[in-house]
Amino acid sequence: MRHRSLQAIAGLTLFAGGIAFSAAAETVKGDPAKAVPLVERLCMACHGQDGNSLIPSFPKLAGQHPEYLLHEMQEYKTKHRDNEMMSPVVLELSATDMANLAVYFAAQKPVPGTPSEPGLLALGKKIYLDGNSESGLPSCDGCHEENGKGSARFPRIAGQNPEYTMEQFHLYATGKRKFGKKVMVTVAERITEQEAKAVAEYIASMP
Amino acid sequence: MKPTLIFLALASMAGLSAAAEIAQPHAAGIEAKNYLWNKPNKTLTRALKQKADPEKGKIAYEECRGCHKADASGRPDAGYPQLAGQHTEVLIKQMLDTRSGRRDNPRMHPFIAADAIPTRSIPDVAAYLHGLPVPDTNHKGDGKNLDHGKALYDKDCGKCHGAAGEGNGKEFHPKVASQHYPYLYRESMDIRDGQRRNADTKMVKILKSYSDEDVAAVSDYMSRLPPVM
Ligand code: HEC
Ligand code: HEC
Ligand code: HEC
Ligand code: HEC
Repeated sequence: MRHRSLQAIAGLTLFAGGIAFSAAAETVKGDPAKAVPLVERLCMACHGQDGNSLIPSFPKLAGQHPEYLLHEMQEYKTKHRDNEMMSPVVLELSATDMANLAVYFAAQKPVPGTPSEPGLLALGKKIYLDGNSESGLPSCDGCHEENGKGSARFPRIAGQNPEYTMEQFHLYATGKRKFGKKVMVTVAERITEQEAKAVAEYIASMP
Repeated sequence: MKPTLIFLALASMAGLSAAAEIAQPHAAGIEAKNYLWNKPNKTLTRALKQKADPEKGKIAYEECRGCHKADASGRPDAGYPQLAGQHTEVLIKQMLDTRSGRRDNPRMHPFIAADAIPTRSIPDVAAYLHGLPVPDTNHKGDGKNLDHGKALYDKDCGKCHGAAGEGNGKEFHPKVASQHYPYLYRESMDIRDGQRRNADTKMVKILKSYSDEDVAAVSDYMSRLPPVM
């Protein structure tokens, strides 16, 4: 699970192997201005220039934590995460490109989504704040914070496209995103289809 | 994408994973022949000796908040205990017993497993939790049999758990004052019935003679003991 060569450039200790607990999160060093031509050539078509992807199955990157963005790009590079659309893109990125892109997207302003099934929001909010006592599903706010903004340890999920969120739950639960943190795999194993849909809608509605 | 559709149909019933059955490792406990509830082991000894940092513990504890809540007051409806103010030694022993499978807790296990929290963070978390104020908003029993509960407690339980329910860290005796009633009740039942496999055998012997009503009365009494820091 460890990729020392890649880590070196960004001091990325937080997401390597087991969860590390450094009180002062190390931040990614990069130059957002240098990322602009790459964004326009390689990312914009799918994630939008400002990282607020319009296509529902593509994740929003705007306002995401740079540590997480960098780590996920590395995950595609090492095939820990594999996606026919995303994986080929990272092949031509250097470690410096990835760090620049991470700080670029982290600095963009996230735009909240429009929930497609407002009727599910109440259940979604309940799951988000209370989890499910019967199945042992922990509440999401515990890790992703009440406002969904996450932290250096846990990704931002506020405003994310529901279709993408659902896809990730399925990937975690079926062992296809198995190199991610196990705690999230457990969460995805315990959540029901209905609860996942509801919470995905609630997340989308978060500013 | 066909297999995904079939999967979705199945998954709409239970958790998303086909393998939603929760399992955890199993270590020998009270059912074993030469069981000793507080038998020293290397991991425990080392964890107890480690210089703990509550600031680091606060960060490590983030992963637990989804069940035990940010103020560590727990969730009574779910049987998630209050952890705030508990003795560090008790917290450390219970975390390690759960991790090794000596205390069964499949719901919590994936979050206390070594890939979720490094062993060196366990004393940090314990130090952080011990320093939190004990809330008095805990769930209490129906209050109908408190005299009986007090009589039982003073006769049978106070010598280890303390007259005021304050427990004793050095002896691994948990603080029971103002813990949630549903948790105290279920633990006491599990202790009586041999289901809490890391329990003190002396206590098990005492509880064996208790009826369900006795357990309810003594648990109610403990839940009403005011918070002790
Ligand atoms: C052809 C469309 C496409 C292009 C171009 C593309 N991506 Fe992606 N990207 C995706 C899809 C689809 C996913 C989700 C894949 C999955 O489920 O693993 C994704 C996921 C990601 C993620 C993970 C997000 C998360 O929340 O976990 C990051 C980071 C990312 N892309 C960055 C980039 C960057 C940087 C570029 C440009 C260099 C880029 N992408 C170009 C389609 C694309
Ligand atoms: C114990 C902590 C914890 C809890 C509780 C938790 N998560 Fe997560 N979540 C994580 C971690 C860590 C990750 C990153 C996992 C990885 O490495 O792939 C994550 C990742 C995610 C992702 C993928 C993000 C992306 O951009 O690809 C989504 C979506 C998500 N969580 C939603 C939820 C929801 C909804 C809940 C509540 C039902 C929840 N999480 C509860 C820790 C947690
Ligand atoms: C999925 C929910 C869940 C999560 C997440 C969780 N726990 Fe627990 N925890 C429980 C349950 C349920 C019990 C009670 C088990 C029983 O009934 O025996 C418990 C019991 C405990 C106990 C024993 C308390 C006592 O008085 O004996 C400790 C200590 C503890 N948890 C610490 C933690 C720590 C530290 C974390 C994070 C690393 C954590 N828990 C995460 C559900 C959870
Ligand atoms: C000989 C000492 C002793 C006596 C007497 C005793 N206990 Fe205990 N009790 C313990 C110890 C030690 C533990 C923790 C055991 C372990 O390590 O799992 C414990 C744990 C418990 C717990 C679980 C607390 C938690 O936070 O998980 C409950 C509830 C409990 N005892 C109730 C009682 C009741 C009720 C009585 C009286 C009928 C009683 N005990 C008498 C030693 C004692």
